[in-house]
Amino acid sequence: MWAVEAIGLEKDYRRPFGKSSRALAGVTLSIPRGSIFGLLGLNGAGKTTFIKTLLAVVRPSRGSVRVLGGSPELPEVRAKIGYLPERSYYPPTATALTHLRSIARLKGLAPSPGELERLLERVGLVVNSAKVASYSKGMTQRLGLAAALLGRPELLLLDEPTDGIDPLGRLEVRRILVEERARGATVVLNSHLVAETERIADRVAILSGGRVLREGSLHELVRPTSSWRVRFAGAADSQALAELGFTPLSGGAYSLQAPDPEALNRTLEQARARGAWLIELTAEGHGLEEELVRLLGPGEPS
Amino acid sequence: MNSGVWAITFDLIREALARRWILALLLAMTLVLGGMSLGLSVEVVDGALAATRLFGTSLDNDIRAADVALRPVFEAAAYVIFYGGLCFGILACSDFVPSLLAPGRIEHLLSLPVRRSALIIGTYGGVFLVMAGLAAYGALGFTVVLGLKTGVWTPRLLAAALLAVITFAAIFGVMVTAAVFVRSSALSALAGGALCLAGLFSGNRDQLLPMFEPGKERTAFEIFCVFFPPVAAIARAAGDLAASLPIDRDLLLRQLAGLLLFGAAAVAVGIWRFEQKDF
Repeated sequence: MWAVEAIGLEKDYRRPFGKSSRALAGVTLSIPRGSIFGLLGLNGAGKTTFIKTLLAVVRPSRGSVRVLGGSPELPEVRAKIGYLPERSYYPPTATALTHLRSIARLKGLAPSPGELERLLERVGLVVNSAKVASYSKGMTQRLGLAAALLGRPELLLLDEPTDGIDPLGRLEVRRILVEERARGATVVLNSHLVAETERIADRVAILSGGRVLREGSLHELVRPTSSWRVRFAGAADSQALAELGFTPLSGGAYSLQAPDPEALNRTLEQARARGAWLIELTAEGHGLEEELVRLLGPGEPS
Repeated sequence: MNSGVWAITFDLIREALARRWILALLLAMTLVLGGMSLGLSVEVVDGALAATRLFGTSLDNDIRAADVALRPVFEAAAYVIFYGGLCFGILACSDFVPSLLAPGRIEHLLSLPVRRSALIIGTYGGVFLVMAGLAAYGALGFTVVLGLKTGVWTPRLLAAALLAVITFAAIFGVMVTAAVFVRSSALSALAGGALCLAGLFSGNRDQLLPMFEPGKERTAFEIFCVFFPPVAAIARAAGDLAASLPIDRDLLLRQLAGLLLFGAAAVAVGIWRFEQKDF
């Protein structure tokens, strides 16, 4: 079953003097329930507009969208969605607890103070009377995430959830998203951080100019590599390694071309037989980032 | 009203009561009422005002019936509440809708299971309740202090305050709509101020009409007066009501009905535009 079904979604923003700009140019996407789905693309690719159409914050000019089996125009559909916007705004007098209480009231929930405190602790915030206005960017993101998680939503739409969060905090956010998937929620993640998306997303769509350039599982999108970076312990016999096809790189590393896993392991066995003990092996090229650069980079077809 | 409207109204009241302007007004009103309670000394003998002293200074030595002597005081208080309340409300409340529509906030609110119209109605209702509460506090406090000092108890100042609140409600309807079209607190305040000014002209229609030459100019002014609520006329009615002077009840009711219709129409236009907008 699909959590999101978008068919031929188009959005034109009208500008003064009759001009218009196209934010979405026929996006067709289906997002399976219970998965983490990553949206990738450059600035202005249409990622945020797409997420907003899933909430009826932006109405599509053409095409249709169904979220959790219904129209996002319906409040009962939106009641099952948690959303973290790209930009956060909080009333200057709000504290973390008053903000969450306010969101809970608007969601028709009545959580106990203990539940709200546990939620804040889950996203790494300390419960106190500090005004949100005094929070750092990372703290407001954490609070926004807590608000999105209120009421255990079936669908989480997160626009740059780790923006401004420190590396340890990102780790915590990833753990939370994985936990949410484990309980059956669908997570749609819009992030500029490709490595982060690559770590947790089950499927990914790459958007450009309001269109979906590629969509699929990470396995489908990331092509198998044939280039490897290798390091050996101690002073390996570089002459012998060169004969096996290892090309020296800076810092004592070597590059190795192997068309398949069998050839890779065979060459490594031969190196071991000559006294070179493997301590590091890294696949080079053709990760998600390379695929994104290939599709969207300068001079490349997009 | 549904729970979404109440939730928005509740949040707005909490936000308003934490704002400096509104806290400052509450403090100022409390200080004035406290000063009156402590510094105003009134001697009433057989229902007549024998002597009045404010912080020891004699104010009036004429012996008059207390209720008659207090009429100009109540009238002045009604004008202060009416025009002071309108000016304060226009300036202090111009930011509420632009703040509701702030990027980052409005997207989040629209993502919640609340109808779009509930956001506007809840904000409008919250501001109305805040202003009604402030007006009631001032009018009730004044009535109680003078009642305790003189034994003259009259709800007329409260009725005058109610007229001020209804007038503000209509003006705020236009401010809401202006802010929905262009998210700007300055423009919202400008729209409120301009309407208030237009209301001063249309409320003095009978006095101003002879200044226009018969013909197109006079007709234009008459049409102008039909469209804009007669703020000055309602203020006069509030003053007369507070001073126990006779008022044309039917005319006042017609003006209030027109005012409410005007405010409701303005809010309806704002909601219509808000329903169309992308954020």
